[in-house]
Amino acid sequence: MNRSVIISFGLHTFFVIITAMSLPFLAKKPIDLPPIISVELIQITDKTNIPFAPKARKIIEKVKEKEKKLVSEQAPPKKIKKQKPDAVPLPDEKIEKIKKIKDKKQNPEKIETEIKQISEFEKKELFDSNNIAALIDKSKVESAETNKKLDKVTQDQDKEMDFIGLTLGEEDALKAQIFGCWSIPLGLPFNENLLVRIKLQLKPDGSIIRSEILDHARMNRPGQGFYKVLAESALRAIKLCQPLRVPSTGYERWKDMQLNFDAREMLEG
Amino acid sequence: MLFRYLFLLLVILPIKAFALIEVDITRGNLNPLPVAVSPLAIDKNSKDNFKKILKKENLGSEIAKIVENNLKQSGLFNPLNKDAFLQEPDIANLKPRFEDWNLIKAQALVTGKVTFVDEKLRVEFRLWDVLAGKEMMALAFTTVPSNWRRVGHIITDKVYERLTGEKGYFDTRIIYISEEGPKTNRIKKLAIMDQDGFNNKFLTLGNELVLTPRFSPTNQMVTYLSYFRNLPRVYLLDIETGMQEVVGDFPGMTFAPRFSPDGKKIIMSFAKDGNSDIYTMDLENRIVERISNHPSIDTSPSYSPDGKYITFNSDRSGYQQIYVMNSNGKNVKRISFGNGLYGTPVWSPRGDLIAFTKLHKGKFYIGVMRTDGTGERLLTENFYQEAPSWSPNGRVLIFYRETKTNSKGEGFSAKLWSIDLTGYNEKMVETETDASDPSWSSLLSN
Amino acid sequence: MNLSKTLKNGFLVLVASLVLTACATQKKESIGQMQGDVYTGTDSVEYLASGVPDRVFFATNETVLTTASRETLRKQATWLRKNSDINIVLEGHADERGTREYNLALGERRANSAKDYLMTYGISSDRISVLSYGKEKPVDSGSNPLAWSKNRRSVSVKAN
Repeated sequence: MNRSVIISFGLHTFFVIITAMSLPFLAKKPIDLPPIISVELIQITDKTNIPFAPKARKIIEKVKEKEKKLVSEQAPPKKIKKQKPDAVPLPDEKIEKIKKIKDKKQNPEKIETEIKQISEFEKKELFDSNNIAALIDKSKVESAETNKKLDKVTQDQDKEMDFIGLTLGEEDALKAQIFGCWSIPLGLPFNENLLVRIKLQLKPDGSIIRSEILDHARMNRPGQGFYKVLAESALRAIKLCQPLRVPSTGYERWKDMQLNFDAREMLEG
Repeated sequence: MLFRYLFLLLVILPIKAFALIEVDITRGNLNPLPVAVSPLAIDKNSKDNFKKILKKENLGSEIAKIVENNLKQSGLFNPLNKDAFLQEPDIANLKPRFEDWNLIKAQALVTGKVTFVDEKLRVEFRLWDVLAGKEMMALAFTTVPSNWRRVGHIITDKVYERLTGEKGYFDTRIIYISEEGPKTNRIKKLAIMDQDGFNNKFLTLGNELVLTPRFSPTNQMVTYLSYFRNLPRVYLLDIETGMQEVVGDFPGMTFAPRFSPDGKKIIMSFAKDGNSDIYTMDLENRIVERISNHPSIDTSPSYSPDGKYITFNSDRSGYQQIYVMNSNGKNVKRISFGNGLYGTPVWSPRGDLIAFTKLHKGKFYIGVMRTDGTGERLLTENFYQEAPSWSPNGRVLIFYRETKTNSKGEGFSAKLWSIDLTGYNEKMVETETDASDPSWSSLLSN
Repeated sequence: MNLSKTLKNGFLVLVASLVLTACATQKKESIGQMQGDVYTGTDSVEYLASGVPDRVFFATNETVLTTASRETLRKQATWLRKNSDINIVLEGHADERGTREYNLALGERRANSAKDYLMTYGISSDRISVLSYGKEKPVDSGSNPLAWSKNRRSVSVKAN
């Protein structure tokens, strides 16, 4: 063994010397590097979710405080007068009934509590998304968080702009909200058309007057049983997310809205 | 004139056609659906009767527990804590106060009732959409009291199907090999249990080596390999009568048996003179047919659910790979091309995928690929695992894992594991003893 | 100045060379030897008769006989010719690093390789039957290459 060590050492020394001697010749020429241009890829969401100045942050903090107070002052759930539902009420019929109940009530505070209650849930949904980070894409969580900050600020920015439709910021806010509410049934077939289009009529505060599934007939077609399940999950998402995160201005432009739920991307993986 | 135009402009501008806004919702969450399973209501008389017959305090709670456990194990549902339930079972079954259930964030609710009627067990259950505030489904079953666990599984299947769009897999059984003893002298027995681990029964005594049991699609018969009298042969076992018979009269080892989708044939390997080929035997007329004829090892055959194709394992390329051929043996095509060795191909009951075991760089993988070999997806990696078997809805795979022994050769164990097709919800399936070679039955309630 | 620089460079060269120096380590272990992948030891070997080992070993996924295997089988053939009333069963085995069913087939093929070789030495096939245990009956329960090599075997067992 010793012999082989000595031979190895000798050969290595030889090669190292040769390399060392030739190196100076290589090092002489200076390398000409082109100037570095930095390219930043900005997602559209980043652009519209512009972080706000410290002063604005304070305003938002104040608003959050106010909201917190309202929520904690709630009494335990008030019993709303029960209506006997019909055998199989269609979703839009049900919503009309709720509307009637609301109209009957003389006490405006009761309505307030109901809405606040729901928004408390909705907030929880977004927080919950942090816990199940393993299941959810990181990007979804981010957009949900940045949109929380957005609440009051972007709508002010939009006043000057006169778009038909929602701005990117408004759209992002709404999308992020619904992403959090939509529990996609995992049992759907990967390779079918998984698009459910739901038309909504909204109130200024984002609650739903009326909802309509556009491909309603498909729900009962043979072999399309999964469509019914998909449509129901979309309806649940909308219900869970009430009141929807709508812009505070320009009611006329978004009071009729269509949500296109497409589960394809999530399921194809 | 000017005023008229101005007026028109004013009218037109607002009607600038606020086109219907469309927002695309392409993402959601994959959270388990929060569901509340209320204990089933049961009247005092029925409760006492069932306590006498089945030795169960409250059959209504017991059945609900089965549903709750099944839904939780599936990974797709999150059954909520019963302590938070505000409504009593009997009232909830008549007319749930949806606000109460909404309060605890349930999106679906299962309620029901259990009664003792004519010496029989009658169960009715309802599934409610809490958010929409309406009933989604209402069914009732009558059966002998001893079947009470199956009722729980059947209810789960119905609820699962209604909420996911997929058929369920809860009213099923799993047959497997129970193992005990040191690795160099393992005692192996044929065993069968409900998919949730209950009602475990041993079907053989452990006197001879038994391996690779598979269910018949009709569920009364099982085919497996037995070394009875030191002659390894494929056998048929009738679970209900306990009768065993050897399949065919082969002059050499037969192994790796499965049933054809119609339950009428057994497909298996027959080894002779160093060569293993695939054969079938018709159980009725006993006609034996040779399917593959090649000097390589051909084994682990598995039919497609329509019976038209067979996937199998062959080393004709020099190493274990997966092939597909017509059920008559023609048109053999290789479908596995990744790095490593492939084995144990098994066709999904949905017909869309083939599950397999892969060995690469000393690690074992369970994976799936499309039936043309594309879309290979590895679901889990381990020191040693193999032999996936599909749930009847083609969603879940059950397989087994062995642990590495330490330097003294100790610490060996074998356990059943399952994993969802998406790669989530990987978990161990509890068995009394060590276990291997699992095979999933089709739905018992057909 | 120059001298110290040269010394410094020379020193660096020596250090670099020392670092790179290596030599081959011994492959052979003293007990339980393997040649390549094939077990060549005698730990688990039993004997049909004095000087007649009862088993031959194989490389991973292989069913070909090594030179050592052929020698063992020649000894077995000689002994079988001398004891013409004895029949044997060739039991083929595989290690645990493979799928169960394929290993059953592999074991059968290994046992058959041994049988074919015995037949070339005039032993009638009537006297030899073949049986495979796949990976079900390991001799060594360890999970390491040495244990696995001991398990990849074809064993001749007296049938009567």
